[in-house]
Amino acid sequence: MDDELQSLETELQCLRPADPSRALLTRIGRDLAPPAIARPGFAWRWRWLGALPLAAACVVVWLQLSRPPVSPTANAVQKPLTEVAADESALLKPVAAENILVAARDEGFVTLADGTPARRERREFIETITWRNPRTRASLTWTVPREEVRVVPVVLQ
Amino acid sequence: MAAPSDNDPWQIWFHQYGPKLLLCARQWTRSFADAEDVVQEAFVRFWRHQRALPGEPMALLVTSVRRAAFDLARREGRRSVREEKAGADFDVSDFHAALDGDERRSAVEAALHRIPAEQREVLVLKIWGELTFEQIARELELSPNTAASRYRYALAALRKELSSADCHG
Repeated sequence: MDDELQSLETELQCLRPADPSRALLTRIGRDLAPPAIARPGFAWRWRWLGALPLAAACVVVWLQLSRPPVSPTANAVQKPLTEVAADESALLKPVAAENILVAARDEGFVTLADGTPARRERREFIETITWRNPRTRASLTWTVPREEVRVVPVVLQ
Repeated sequence: MAAPSDNDPWQIWFHQYGPKLLLCARQWTRSFADAEDVVQEAFVRFWRHQRALPGEPMALLVTSVRRAAFDLARREGRRSVREEKAGADFDVSDFHAALDGDERRSAVEAALHRIPAEQREVLVLKIWGELTFEQIARELELSPNTAASRYRYALAALRKELSSADCHG
């Protein structure tokens, strides 16, 4: 290759290709955003867990109400059911609570809606709360998984 | 070209190589918008699934871009006119003004569009795609010698076009 062609080659190498449009960057950012953040249904996936303690409490109360008295006396006057339920449930006292971190993952970089890069961390916990009735020694343990996602904006130098 | 690591944000990587990919894509698409579409498809696929693969990332991306361009052309039923219409979108410049001035950049860009498409394709892949002749040959299903010859012909044709433009301008 002669000098003139080499000179032309060098000149071409100095030409910088045009930048992609902002719209393309936005589209790629949207495509590469992790589905957990992009999908609005994510929150609903775990929301049903919030109803668990209520359902568990209802089951316990129902079981206690439907159980026949252990040693009924012949002349005992039975209290109205609602009154019994109120009394029994009032005796359940919280005795233990723990929150155990079972997994933590750094899920890398994501792009926020305004284009800011951010780092996403996902943590999974198991929460356990125990209630006990000191009189009857009946206990209720509530265990529920909880997932926490933290998105921390980062500044690129 | 260094392969991206798991911790690299895609923005940094794309900022460096996106413009080159876009210019390569322009060789196989009829408009700037089409080129951006195929770069998007290829880059997202690469970043999600292929960046950990062994080999030269740019070569992998160029292959992916080319396939995406062919798929797009096939989908839109215009493959038969792809060659003649590739690069026909002159409204959008392919380059920044980085030479002596915008006039020179425009002259070079116009001359690039006038040389034969198969020569321009090799020139773009070599200079801005940063591929070797072996990689270009694999990509275009040529022999490395043919790829090297087309590159030399492209430079010669470009020089001729620029000289001609200088004489007439």
